[in-house]
Amino acid sequence: MNDQSQSKEKLGFVYKLFKAMQKNNLNYIYRGSFTENITDNILSLAETNLVKKDDPRILRRKVYNVMVEGLQNITKHQADIKVDDEKNYGVFVLKKENDKYYITTGNLIENEHIENLSAQIDQVNSLDKAGLSAYHKEVLLHGKISEKGGAGLGLIDMARKSGNKLLYAFEKLDEKYSYFYLHTEIPSKNAPKSSLNTKNSGILHYISALHKMLNDENVLIIFNSYFNQDSLMNLLSIIEKQMMESLQQKKRIYHTMVEMFQNIIQHGDDYQKTEEGKAGLFFISETEKEYLLNTGNYILNEKIPILSKKIDYVNNLSEEELEEFYNHRLLDFDIDTNKEAGLGIIDIRMKTDDNLEYYFLNIDDKYSFYSLRAKIKKN
Amino acid sequence: MEALHIEATEDTPKIYFEPEVDIYLIEGKSLPENAVDFYQPVFDWAEKFFNSPDTPTDVTIYFKLDYFNTASSKQIAKFLRIIENSAASENVTIRWFYDEEDTDMLKAGNRYNKLMNIRFEFEVNKD
Repeated sequence: MNDQSQSKEKLGFVYKLFKAMQKNNLNYIYRGSFTENITDNILSLAETNLVKKDDPRILRRKVYNVMVEGLQNITKHQADIKVDDEKNYGVFVLKKENDKYYITTGNLIENEHIENLSAQIDQVNSLDKAGLSAYHKEVLLHGKISEKGGAGLGLIDMARKSGNKLLYAFEKLDEKYSYFYLHTEIPSKNAPKSSLNTKNSGILHYISALHKMLNDENVLIIFNSYFNQDSLMNLLSIIEKQMMESLQQKKRIYHTMVEMFQNIIQHGDDYQKTEEGKAGLFFISETEKEYLLNTGNYILNEKIPILSKKIDYVNNLSEEELEEFYNHRLLDFDIDTNKEAGLGIIDIRMKTDDNLEYYFLNIDDKYSFYSLRAKIKKN
Repeated sequence: MEALHIEATEDTPKIYFEPEVDIYLIEGKSLPENAVDFYQPVFDWAEKFFNSPDTPTDVTIYFKLDYFNTASSKQIAKFLRIIENSAASENVTIRWFYDEEDTDMLKAGNRYNKLMNIRFEFEVNKD
């Protein structure tokens, strides 16, 4: 197999994931173990970064409240289950579309709880606003609380805060376990109310299929948004909070992300012109030995020959040659504009532990989808 | 002598060049979208300051960066080059701070030290 078809096999996934995220306007996914620490971080992120500051206060508060319940739901179930591997990783998905936020959680539960859980949600969904209030009071006062330590209350709260029905699905994993997906729509004041039909779980099939893809590739964090300086800063704060690595490794991940991201901001091309920036995907996945940092974005076909030549050139340099090339470029003040310092790719290669992998997937006469992958060794 | 003060933002460092109290400091993160634009005032200041008959005989510039991108690394090289080529280059010491575990930051300082004819000192950040 030649280099290009090897890369195609590995990096074809990037475009698949990009399309999957785009199709449903999914903005942010975290997949992993939901410790209290992680949960807190996701919440503070939502407050500061993920949810737009110019959204009405009341909407932001609702999103926050529903997230709290959803995340607590995950941690509770997760603690119950004695599966201590990646199968037990939960997912948290945030989507924004037409002024509405959608939150989906997915986590492993034991099959024997499915019936009880479905009954609880159906009960909640059968009630109107007044009914929910009364039910909430009843559960509080008379303690009709499930064995799961009050999951009942959490569900009631999610329904009340969102003002919508809860959508759910189970995806059987084996004889003992299933994934439980819960989806809530939080409409803004002006947006039309629930378009959510509890019988129509299309979005959940979709997310469960995506979840499978993420499990297969061991993806930890996905960010699908416009590439601009603001989204870079948001993403960096996510990484700073969520990656539990040594300082040196964290810095390398941080560093490599900045260069990969800014490379796209400066050199990526708009497939469809938007004011917010260039559409693209960033995600981190892991293997036993390394973290993989991946970007995907559109690029004009005419740029491909020069870019591949550049990456190949850097890939073929030894450590000393890289250092020399870097120094040479550093002092080459003829290449010096806001757009170009001529150092990005060299630096990415120096900060990572292996050759850069790349792949251009042809989209049409004018554009290709450019995937780039850098690897950072775990300690 | 003129001072230069620039407040830090989430992606640009604090610049505090204050001859009156003899403090010259660059501190924080540097990853601006437009590095050339951001550093232009720094170059303008340096051209004047280091080529003036009144330049102090002993100037220590504190580099306390915890992170900079490649676009900034080129601007830092330009800044150091201005000092190197100035009348006062022998009066200047660069004190380069780094976290003990952050060998990449130490390496970056060593690189400038090697490439520039300016005095460098290295110091580990205290928590």
